Amino acid sequence: MASKVIRRDLLVGAAACAGALATSVNNGLAKTPRTHDIRIKSFEFEPQTITVKVGDTIRWTNEDLAPHTATAVAADWDTGEIVKDDARSIKVTEGMETNYFCAFHPHMKGTIELI
Amino acid sequence: MAHVAYTADNLDIRYAHLALAKSKNPEIHKFAKTMIRDHEAVNEQALALLEKLGVQAQDNFLSQKLNQDGDAIIERFSTLSGAEFDRAYAENELAYHKAVNALVGDVFIPNIENAEVKALFEEGLKIFKAHEAHAEMMVEALN
Ligand SMILES: [Cu+2]
Repeated sequence: MASKVIRRDLLVGAAACAGALATSVNNGLAKTPRTHDIRIKSFEFEPQTITVKVGDTIRWTNEDLAPHTATAVAADWDTGEIVKDDARSIKVTEGMETNYFCAFHPHMKGTIELI
Repeated sequence: MAHVAYTADNLDIRYAHLALAKSKNPEIHKFAKTMIRDHEAVNEQALALLEKLGVQAQDNFLSQKLNQDGDAIIERFSTLSGAEFDRAYAENELAYHKAVNALVGDVFIPNIENAEVKALFEEGLKIFKAHEAHAEMMVEALN
């Protein structure tokens, strides 16, 4: 009896997995956490606006000679200094500040759209 | 040309250190720290490139002139304090970046033949233009 239950659970689990896999393939990996890349180039965040989900990762790569940061306007998250050719990542969390800028060059601005 | 650029970088770093010592305005401090950080990054690349190319930056009349003007400005700054200093520093940063950007953009870059050196000057110019825009905002905020 007990083994039957386990087997059925396994089967359900496997079916769910296959389902999730199919969905994620269909939706372009909608359920799997993604890494979103942002280039910092010529004193701009590229792209300037990105759409992300909780659990995703945002990675900033600095292609400029000058060091930059990505810093939340409300200061609840911050990549710290990113030097030339270096990258820093931040994990997307619930309710995180979505407007950010470069703490060294305040005219550099970016937006995160949380869905 | 390399020596002029190097001198210009170092001069701005000197102004920034003076600002850190004299100003109590947090915005001035932030700006000065950015000047030090960015100009040091440029200088590091410039020195690495000179070494790679096996050339030495030569002192010349233009860099000497820059240094003399710089000494005079630093002397004047040292007599100022408080908001008066902050304004003078911000205005000088704006004027200085404008002058250096014009020199680099209109005179230096069109005359550089080596592609790597040219790329570095172009990269530097982007940084100094960002500084110019930042200094402009700072001047407006202080007036
Ligand atoms: Cu920056």
